[in-house]
Amino acid sequence: MNENLFASFITPTMMGLPVVIIIIMLPSMMLTSSNRLLSNRFHTFQQWVVKMITKQMMSIHSPKGQTWCLMLVSLIIFIGSTNLLGLLPHTFTPTTQLSMNLGMAIPLWAGTVFLGFRHKMKSTLAHFLPQGTPIPLIPMLIIIETISLFIQPMALAVRLTANITAGHLLMHLIGGATLVLTSISPPTAMITFIILVLLTILEFAVALIQAYVFTLLVSLYLHDNT
Amino acid sequence: MAGAESDSQFQFTGIKKYLNSYTLTGRMNCVLAAYGGIALLVLYSKLRSKKNPAVKAS
Repeated sequence: MNENLFASFITPTMMGLPVVIIIIMLPSMMLTSSNRLLSNRFHTFQQWVVKMITKQMMSIHSPKGQTWCLMLVSLIIFIGSTNLLGLLPHTFTPTTQLSMNLGMAIPLWAGTVFLGFRHKMKSTLAHFLPQGTPIPLIPMLIIIETISLFIQPMALAVRLTANITAGHLLMHLIGGATLVLTSISPPTAMITFIILVLLTILEFAVALIQAYVFTLLVSLYLHDNT
Repeated sequence: MAGAESDSQFQFTGIKKYLNSYTLTGRMNCVLAAYGGIALLVLYSKLRSKKNPAVKAS
């Protein structure tokens, strides 16, 4: 049981070859583009989603920040679709791997920080000291703000990893418990099954919310630095 | 976030003109001074440990 619990998080290989690359590419292969002005329902829905995300996320940005539009929209669609596909039984979810999430978080965060230092050096440096800080607190607060800056990408990655991993583990545990309880006590199994259904609905929401939170935070870091 | 337009409303004199937590320039200078101070401390402790090898051995 213990070994089975974490088996779904092992990076899959097929005959020694890593298939994780194909798994990561799968959502983008499923979301095709159309060369028609008025396409079918699926493409129209896709376009509507992209338009909604663009309007929602990019309206607060300056023209310099809006150059990141493609990056941020791709990011939210990638994480959202990967998380949702991971809710299918026996699938591998790439966003449960801290390595992948760090690989997304660190370059994006670093990009926003370098952009800030490149274009708004004074403002970016001044950001490390909140306005109106009492003099005795200045050195300590600067150190605290520096540490909080470097923690940002770690928090981004760990938040996504922990949320998705915990959800999958919970579903696995409660599903296993439901199965075991079916032969022992059917009424209790019924209750656990209802909990499982509710948890699955929650996980659908978490999958989309975590994608939104990740992208929103990157967008906020970008807004602070542009 | 308040920018250059708020800097003019503060009239500091002396060292507070360059090191304060209200204007953009003042905050930037405080940050740079803090980093510089930390760098100097690290440099000083490294040089001190090189000067006294007996300290390392004990």
